[in-house]
Amino acid sequence: MAETSLKPKSCGGPLEGVRVLEITKVWAGPYAGKMLAHLGAEVIKVESATNLDEMRAYGGVDINSAPYFLSINQEILSVQVNMKTEEGLDLVRRMVAESDIVIDNIRPGAMERSHLGYEDLKKIKPDIIQCSIKMWGNEGPLGYQTGYAPCFAALSGLFYLVGHEGETPRGMNMRHGDSTAGACAALACLAALHHRERTGEGQFIDLSAVETMTSLVGDSLFSYSVTGKVPEPDGNFHPEMCPHAAYPCTGVDWISIAVAGEGEWQTLCEVLDAGDLAADPRFSDLASRLENRRALDEAIGALTAQQDATELADRLRKAGVPAFKAMSSIDLCSDEFLWAREAYRMVSDHKNGSRPIIGPSWRISPEGPQVERGAPLLGEHNDYVYREILGLPQEKLDDLVARKIVD
Amino acid sequence: MSALAGITIVEIAERPAGEYTGKLLADFGAEVIKVERPGGAPTRGMVPVKDGESALFAYLNTNKKSVVLDLDKAEDRATLDRLLARANALIDDHDDAWNVARSLGSDDVARAHPHLVHCIVTPFGQGAPAEWQACRPINVTMASGWAYHSPSETPDEKPPLKGPGRFFADYEGAIDAALCVLASLHRQRKAGPNERGGQFIDVSQDEALINRIDCVLDRMLAGEAEPSMERTAYDMGGPQTSFACKDGHVYLFMTTKAHWNGLCSLMGEPDWTREFREDWLEFDCTRDNVKKFRDLFRPWIAEQEKLPVTEAAQKAGVAMVPVNTAADLPKNEQIAHRGFFQEGEHPVFGTVSYPTACYKMSATPVRIASPAPALGADNSELGGE
Repeated sequence: MAETSLKPKSCGGPLEGVRVLEITKVWAGPYAGKMLAHLGAEVIKVESATNLDEMRAYGGVDINSAPYFLSINQEILSVQVNMKTEEGLDLVRRMVAESDIVIDNIRPGAMERSHLGYEDLKKIKPDIIQCSIKMWGNEGPLGYQTGYAPCFAALSGLFYLVGHEGETPRGMNMRHGDSTAGACAALACLAALHHRERTGEGQFIDLSAVETMTSLVGDSLFSYSVTGKVPEPDGNFHPEMCPHAAYPCTGVDWISIAVAGEGEWQTLCEVLDAGDLAADPRFSDLASRLENRRALDEAIGALTAQQDATELADRLRKAGVPAFKAMSSIDLCSDEFLWAREAYRMVSDHKNGSRPIIGPSWRISPEGPQVERGAPLLGEHNDYVYREILGLPQEKLDDLVARKIVD
Repeated sequence: MSALAGITIVEIAERPAGEYTGKLLADFGAEVIKVERPGGAPTRGMVPVKDGESALFAYLNTNKKSVVLDLDKAEDRATLDRLLARANALIDDHDDAWNVARSLGSDDVARAHPHLVHCIVTPFGQGAPAEWQACRPINVTMASGWAYHSPSETPDEKPPLKGPGRFFADYEGAIDAALCVLASLHRQRKAGPNERGGQFIDVSQDEALINRIDCVLDRMLAGEAEPSMERTAYDMGGPQTSFACKDGHVYLFMTTKAHWNGLCSLMGEPDWTREFREDWLEFDCTRDNVKKFRDLFRPWIAEQEKLPVTEAAQKAGVAMVPVNTAADLPKNEQIAHRGFFQEGEHPVFGTVSYPTACYKMSATPVRIASPAPALGADNSELGGE
């Protein structure tokens, strides 16, 4: 087989040789698969034309060039199986037998009903690592519930902390949450992989998307347990830095400025040409600035309002005051630094030849992963999975396709 | 049993980004040796402080050891080398100048310790201008685009927000850093005890945050959606938002006819609901209708209590949930069932409640086995000052 291997080229990287099967939809599950694939794992997505990942369908476009799908699933392999048939489920079980990790984020109970729960998988492969991503985790009094990422954030305690001071808490942008749950799932899978490598034992990982958001505010919650003081939505307030806020610039732009210590405060006043503020006793030290911060923020805002955010941030940083423009989507797309650092990079694309993607946040050397392959066509890797991994003869695969077990 | 038993990690980080990376791995059971400067890590002085002890430090450094080393002194720097010689990984979050001055840049470490997984997590990644790397979490969140688009529907005249708490950009970056360290340690394990098991990992907090919005921003990069100056560019439209109720706040998410019918029945079918088409969420979800709905819904929800009304909503098929505060979470039956909060004894604070992890692992549960260490607690074992 070796000389005619159907195995797609690996992107290399530290997880080369690790095989992940994902039964996932929408965002959190696929994002977990992406994180592992971008570190070199071979990640196989189990799909079906009759039970599509919604991301292949949004916008009513060609399922093989659906923008949402292409934007997440780079370096992923795709195999078709109709999981509504017993024969299809049996094929999935055979794939599990050849995998190290199985990730799912389908509805609570669905894996178990298909006899793909952990107890079932363990019988197929005793050292399998299974990770299940659910709103509230896999079981428990509220385990049956399903929902949407902003609901997770609201339940988690994170949402309550984000809002303009004194106003109704509003949370982060409603798109925040799913992807972080996927990243945490990938992290737990690798911890479990270490345990398996050392002891030979697999395990079940039960991930709660709500608790992912809770863990992002862990220090605030722990502080509450220590001090008894309930943290409130606090705008851009920081108890140890002042000024610490976003200030209006020309147009609809904003600049963030974070000042720690008297040196930075004096420098800020110099750059803003604000000798009066530097000399104002209301702003003479951190405690005074915090006490009078509304007046201070107003005074600084009056000085920044006529300035260009990018240019002012650049001058402030060079002078030693941390500052950055609040970047809009158009700022991000056209940002030279991000393009130069390959935060955005090109991958292959079946329709257009190439496509820009948002690359991983990491660079690894030597032998780092090379993310170059775009998202798969539906069933693009059927031959590899069925003929090479499962060892089925071509006639058998043709028959499965004809009978829509592979669909 | 812990997942990372047998793995030793040295942490010279001094910001929440690197300390949280170390915490994630320590809570999985790795031996994490925190190297602190004389006088202690800067986070030991950060608020809230109670009885002279920082709650922030106590949170970020659970399950770690502490050794005090002055890395500007040759003798202590040599002690660090001895620790690194027997460690699997090194976690850092300093800028280039700090590291170069102490021979802790990526090349220095690779030369001296070719077996070592070496990760540096910084605001903008290696090669970024030096002054960018001094940026603080609020600046990084602003740079990433999350602030400009948070909260959803913020009007132009209101400031973008830093996100929850003080260290949002640190924590998201730390998750990626911990993930990469574990991946590279897997490679190191496979390589066996040879000199070439090491790798250098450069993680950008800014890029971790940008990666988290992949399926929204990438469609703009690829020309499939329009990038813009709009604060609402990441939003989805629709009536979903938070509302004040009698004893706090609720969040309502509605996209379908079934959601709408459920809500109408929950409210007892008030007359005003008949001013909307039954399928308005799907086919008549205009800005005006959203505003009108919210204006009419607000007085009703203002009279409700968050737990009873959201429980009734769930039963009616409406995705309305309480906006939980820190005080609400320990009382939540599901969070309690999963044991997310773990009680522990802290030498200064007494009984405390640690938030743990979002992943329940059947064979190797995450546990807070020891509180954050006293400064230099492990000096005698590890050769500190």
